[in-house]
Amino acid sequence: MTKLLITEITRMGPAFCVIGLQREEGKIRSVRPVTASANSWMHFPYQRGDVLQCDLAPFSGAKPHVEDRVSTHGFQKQSTVPESEVVAYLRKAEFAGTLPELFGCVLHENKSGSGLFAMPREATRSVCGTQTINLRLELCANEVRATLALSSGEVLRDLPVVDRDWRDFIEAALAEERGANRVARLERFLNSQFHYKVLSCPHHFIRLGLTRPYHDLCWLMLDTLIPLPKHEWLEEF
Amino acid sequence: MASIKDENHWKRLVDECFRREAGPQTAVPDPAQDLIETGVLDSMGWVSFLRALESASGLSELGVLLTERTPSLESVFQVFKEAQTERLSPEPCFSYAAQSEARTSVYISSSCAVVGSRKIPSEEVDRAFGMPPGRLRLRAGIESLAYATENENELTLGARAAQQALHTAVCGAQELDWIIATSETHRGYPSLAAQLHSQLLARENCGALDVGGACLGLVNGLAVAQGLIASGQSRTIAVITSDVHSRTFKPGMVAGEFGGLFGDGASAFLLSAKNGTTPEQAYSLGEFFFGCAGQYAGAIRVADAPNGNLDVHFDGEALSRAAITRLEKVVREIELRSGIARSSVQGLATHQPNPRLVTLLAKQCGLPEDKFPLVARSFGNLGSSTCGVALDAILQSARRHQANQWGPIFTASLGPGLLFGGGWLVPA
Repeated sequence: MTKLLITEITRMGPAFCVIGLQREEGKIRSVRPVTASANSWMHFPYQRGDVLQCDLAPFSGAKPHVEDRVSTHGFQKQSTVPESEVVAYLRKAEFAGTLPELFGCVLHENKSGSGLFAMPREATRSVCGTQTINLRLELCANEVRATLALSSGEVLRDLPVVDRDWRDFIEAALAEERGANRVARLERFLNSQFHYKVLSCPHHFIRLGLTRPYHDLCWLMLDTLIPLPKHEWLEEF
Repeated sequence: MASIKDENHWKRLVDECFRREAGPQTAVPDPAQDLIETGVLDSMGWVSFLRALESASGLSELGVLLTERTPSLESVFQVFKEAQTERLSPEPCFSYAAQSEARTSVYISSSCAVVGSRKIPSEEVDRAFGMPPGRLRLRAGIESLAYATENENELTLGARAAQQALHTAVCGAQELDWIIATSETHRGYPSLAAQLHSQLLARENCGALDVGGACLGLVNGLAVAQGLIASGQSRTIAVITSDVHSRTFKPGMVAGEFGGLFGDGASAFLLSAKNGTTPEQAYSLGEFFFGCAGQYAGAIRVADAPNGNLDVHFDGEALSRAAITRLEKVVREIELRSGIARSSVQGLATHQPNPRLVTLLAKQCGLPEDKFPLVARSFGNLGSSTCGVALDAILQSARRHQANQWGPIFTASLGPGLLFGGGWLVPA
């Protein structure tokens, strides 16, 4: 049995992609439980910070998704770890401060539009934590995008935000029952309170990931943004 | 930016941006079609398409305005229409049409370029930096470098270029309303613009302004000058670049793979408001645009080291990759904004980090290499003056032909950061 601290739950179309931390030979590293037939879970009733017991078969996915492990049985929740402690563990796992170190490869910019990608064969992993000195979320035609500055001063623009909790929060903010001017109100929140709430959080942390190869390219995305959003923030705007 | 009233212009922008995202052979879908639901674009492609449109149209809030709307071309056109209604409302604001009109009313009345008087074979520079002879020629394509003599510096080179430009335009320095200077090597005060002001004996109430941006400095300077003239507060402005790298990037201070690439030079451009006396043979400034691609910020950093040396971080490979990708992107953006095909240009005044990259850029752009004046091959990378010397060379070569044979000029450059900018000039 493996003990897994759930750190990522991301949206992948209608399904979820899950990543957790596993301690192995004194090291903490990320593993991605997948089903025998798919890379994602249609139903995943757990939260980040949950410690789950599971059986993971020693299977290594195709590069750069070397963290993949087949989950042979279901999950059993053991306990829950607070957010700040999750970040303490994340800091001990995959971590990089500069762009080339993130996935051990060169990242390329999209020549025709926005976004950054890695070549699947060049990247050595598909998830990595990093420290940001600034971060902004914005809406772009129903999509949520992140722009962030790494501690190295390098800037990443237009990363799709796939973090389940943040996506849920934004959808809740745009729900019809919230009344008029929802987009403008959310924009205001993202441009003001959001900045304060996230960047002033002492355990502010992000994890970036690479998509599965799509037309032979793996696109960068924002997998996790901690602190996770709180439902009561919706009352503030 | 073209007037939002021009529906054909928007349709062209939308079609071009869509094809760039979806592929050149892809038919433009029915305007009402939901592009994501029908699988024409995925969400990454949709956002990428919108970002390209935002950049090309100048409507930077396009993505936000499309939130809660169907992802279709019809929605895009609808947002353009709404933006037009808003902008053409009687509120006191600059209309884009007026801005565009103002931009085209600035022309280059004369130009001049000079380089350091010492011509040094690149092998000699190899040796000085302790590199095997032939390295700069083989790896960077540099045949020789222009170095300043003992009596030359940023001030003398810049002043010489400016005086020659004034002389050519039969314009006295007292006619200047502003001197805009840029240099990536000049340090200290009085600043270069102030020193040039004194040297040229401009009027006391002629402004002196230093503009940064390193190799992007000329394009920055031209855009600032254009704005000052378009505002109606100035009529004649000298934009001057001057860089003397050979005193800064010396052997022992920086590695030869970096320092050996640079030469010394200057350029000057006299800009005037277009009026009844504008000569028939002149180029007008088109539009300029700028940005900063921060993902490449780590590729080059130069800072003062505590021992007085320069602390240079130079990731040549990453920088080359970034330079080619970005310069090509800027060229594409110019095409998109101006509606001018790159194949029709008189020449491209781009930054030239080294001649090898110019060859690569020409290949990437699908253009003959002779559209790019040979600056870096003979003189080295001249910093902010590379673009200036290249632009002057294109202007001089155009003047050897009838004005009706002149083509537009593209200019594109980069600076550490990674700053980027570009624009175009058209026969007046």
